Amino acid sequence: MLRLFLKRERGTGTLPGATVSGRAVSHGVKRESTAINWALELTDFELVERARSGDQAAFRALYDGNVDRVFRLCFRMVGDEHQAREFTQDAFVRVWECLGQFRGDSAFSTWLHSIAVSVVLNGLRKVDRHRKRERSLEDAGQLGRTPRHAEPGVADRLKEAVEGLPEIYRTVFLMYDLEGFPHGEIAEALGVAVGTSKARLFRARELLRETLGEAMREYA
Amino acid sequence: MPRRNEQMDELLTGLREGYNPPPPTPREEMWAIIQSRLRATPGSGVHSMDEARRARANRLHRPLGWVTAAAALLVLGLGIGRMTAPESGPGPAVAPVQNPAVLRTASLDHLVKTETLLTLVRADARAGRVEPSLSSWARGLLSQTRLLIDAQGDADPAMKRLLEDLELVLVQIVGVTNENENDPARVRSELNLALDGIEERNILPRIQAVIPASPRFVGT
Repeated sequence: MLRLFLKRERGTGTLPGATVSGRAVSHGVKRESTAINWALELTDFELVERARSGDQAAFRALYDGNVDRVFRLCFRMVGDEHQAREFTQDAFVRVWECLGQFRGDSAFSTWLHSIAVSVVLNGLRKVDRHRKRERSLEDAGQLGRTPRHAEPGVADRLKEAVEGLPEIYRTVFLMYDLEGFPHGEIAEALGVAVGTSKARLFRARELLRETLGEAMREYA
Repeated sequence: MPRRNEQMDELLTGLREGYNPPPPTPREEMWAIIQSRLRATPGSGVHSMDEARRARANRLHRPLGWVTAAAALLVLGLGIGRMTAPESGPGPAVAPVQNPAVLRTASLDHLVKTETLLTLVRADARAGRVEPSLSSWARGLLSQTRLLIDAQGDADPAMKRLLEDLELVLVQIVGVTNENENDPARVRSELNLALDGIEERNILPRIQAVIPASPRFVGT
């Protein structure tokens, strides 16, 4: 029955579950009952329970409810559609394999995002361990004084500045300022304290201000 | 200051629109690949935490049988040597191991086990608690790490540095597992310190870089 419903919903191009849990619905909150589908009456936690017993339809419902946000995050972090797809798929496969470890202490979406972030960061390290975003914390202080060889446009400079942020600052900046994740969820995803997440965001913005001093004046 | 904030807001607006703007999610294409990957790994179904640990331990122990035995003998020998060494007299209590190849094999085997522990600790940390069974495991690995540090001598300075960093992280993990479970805030705070230690010292990537891609060490 769920399969049939999902087929019908996919045909319309929108899934009610996507809009509901796309806003990081807690596992204790019931989904909206917009159809005769039992899946939407289930909480994320109940869907996880079903998926644990091997029910791929339940897993599909979890996928539909969360994939947009995960893909957006992956894409923001890597800037390449092919890689973003790979990382999104890896994250969901990993989630399927590790469902037994989900204890429900936090929302399913929070747990999923932590896995997605981990997949992306590990993937980026494997792809190129020597990329400039891997520069050490010590190098971060030098960022504002990096000489530029060309005169790129403001948009290019913005992109370059974000790319140049050390990974730990860039991840928090992308999640909070560009994708709207709350600090609590970022902290869980990165395995750090909420205060650390806030401090990293502050430092990321400071570094951007330093790097973009000129560009910001042009904006004014 | 208000002007500065306005500029930052403009900057963020520009970035939200212009920095790696995600395309529409290729939902169905990704799901098809995920499904095929799930089908391609029969038995990769859902496991409980304990089952996952047991399976992992089995995977690690089977191909590593003789290496483990060699490492255990080495550690035992070092331990006996340490206990029976005379109190006085010049020279270190434990002489560096004469065969660097054996020492390196034992160190690599040890790193494989430690990586498993660190990965589990990180996963537990995201759920906000630590499995009590990790305590004795972490203690055992800490003792072996110290013995291996002593045994290194000047044979492999890079390995020695890695083991020394590992020792500090393991001390933190043992500290976490010693904390009173009735004080979750305290446990959480200690856990964050341990995780910061793992992250700041870049422990997991360094271990993964050292462990060779031999089937003997696969499973990490």
